Amino acid sequence: MRYYIGAEARLRRRIEDTAMSVFEGWSYEEVITPSVDYYDLFEQGMGKTEAQRAFRFTDNDGRLLALRPDVTSSVARIAATLLVDRPRPLRFCYASPVFKQQPQFQAEWRRENTQLGCELIGRNGVNADLEVLRLVAEILSRLDLQSTYCITINHVEIFNGIAEQLDLDTPAREQLRRLIDTRETVELQRFLRAYSAHDGRAFSRLAQLTGKRDVLDAAREVIHNDRSLVALNALEDVWSRIELCGLHNDFEIDLGDVPNLDYYTGLTLKVYLHGAGGSVGRGGRYDGLTGNFGRAEPAVGFVLNLDALTEVVGRRMSQQS
Amino acid sequence: MITIALAKGRMQDGALALLGRAGIRVSADEINSRRLAITDETGGYRFLFVKPADVPVYVEHGIADCGMVGRDVLLESEADLLLPLDLGIARCRIVVAAADPEVMTRAVGMLRVATKYSQIAASHFGSRGMPVEIIKLSGSVELAPALGLADLIVDLVQTGRTLRENGLTVVDEITESTGRLVVNRASYQLKAQAVGQLVNALKSALDGGEPLKGSEVA
Repeated sequence: MRYYIGAEARLRRRIEDTAMSVFEGWSYEEVITPSVDYYDLFEQGMGKTEAQRAFRFTDNDGRLLALRPDVTSSVARIAATLLVDRPRPLRFCYASPVFKQQPQFQAEWRRENTQLGCELIGRNGVNADLEVLRLVAEILSRLDLQSTYCITINHVEIFNGIAEQLDLDTPAREQLRRLIDTRETVELQRFLRAYSAHDGRAFSRLAQLTGKRDVLDAAREVIHNDRSLVALNALEDVWSRIELCGLHNDFEIDLGDVPNLDYYTGLTLKVYLHGAGGSVGRGGRYDGLTGNFGRAEPAVGFVLNLDALTEVVGRRMSQQS
Repeated sequence: MITIALAKGRMQDGALALLGRAGIRVSADEINSRRLAITDETGGYRFLFVKPADVPVYVEHGIADCGMVGRDVLLESEADLLLPLDLGIARCRIVVAAADPEVMTRAVGMLRVATKYSQIAASHFGSRGMPVEIIKLSGSVELAPALGLADLIVDLVQTGRTLRENGLTVVDEITESTGRLVVNRASYQLKAQAVGQLVNALKSALDGGEPLKGSEVA
């Protein structure tokens, strides 16, 4: 719950316009999705855990509704239904408020956030992945945030390959994910000791591996299962293309970034910005999503948090003047 | 320069000693100066001395890049932080204690639990399916059973002396707590080099010192 008045509102509008004009330059069409929709849609789109954070209420006839907790679910549904005959790829962008209940103790307490986001549907491979990464970088540099941000990338199949090799059940898999996510190296080693004496030490390095190309080489030394290696190769392809674009100073590979959204199937990304305590954006590939609505096809996208961006850009401007 | 939030009180001396072993020294004059923010001798680190419960808050919001605080505080705060190191200092246990050890089995109706750690207590009893009423206090929890405010307490125990002096016995151990290094998620990426240096310096201080015993977590 936050008011924007006068200069602040203008700044926020300018940031939104900048992002939307970058999207337009890459031929993304704006989409506006309903603010209120059936809860089922979001559960299908986001998975149960995330969707349960939505504000829910009932219709006159008792059907469960929700205030939109994300835009991606709605876009995935129209791609698989209304727009099923349109030629691929589909490129959509939006600037749209989303509503979520937040844990009271966390810094990210706001119930309403405006997402600047895009979805590229129907195209697979390194070109599509690179397209969204370049979009994020272009928006941030158009906002004069050059060299104050860092985009981290990872591939979820690296973690999935390891979890599969260890033959983990769901609670153990979630525990391993959480220990890697919070970089608890000591606990991680202890956890892995129960599974395999040899692999334990190797996998516990995963949480500490962030950096440039050297991370990939270090990972190859400790990871030997096929599923993870395929993912490592895919990540290396993306990294090589980032280098070719001359963007490698703005990107990092972070093998310890294992997001809790269970719908990512490939590349994942997070955006960090000097002056913001948490990440200001995230995204990735979710090829399984549109299948939930009847037509499986590759998809990749990201969102930036407009409110967090406005705060950081506003603070930087007042420091400069 | 990176900013480290330190928990005042029980952990402060242990944390400063550990930092000293890692080559990060703060002069005694600075510490005694009662200023809220002080820098170390090299000027590479700034320290904030804040109440333990506020350490996760400063770090999560990115005001401090890192923090040193007990696991008990972290469990209670549910802040979203990175926890790269167990510092092994200020080791203690979080326990359930009672004046009458039989109370858990004999009680009909709802037990009353006095504690500073309402989250930890709620999840402990919740996971066992025991209905309890939690009474949140901010200090001197061990008095509650004697004064009839509660049947049980959930509290930190270091030596067990305070419990004994108040006629309480441990009926259950919830978990162990030690001092942790916590790191802000954005700082971990954006100040990777400085944070990495701190983590490595502390790690070698820990390895060089007394062997760090793994804290067995239930």
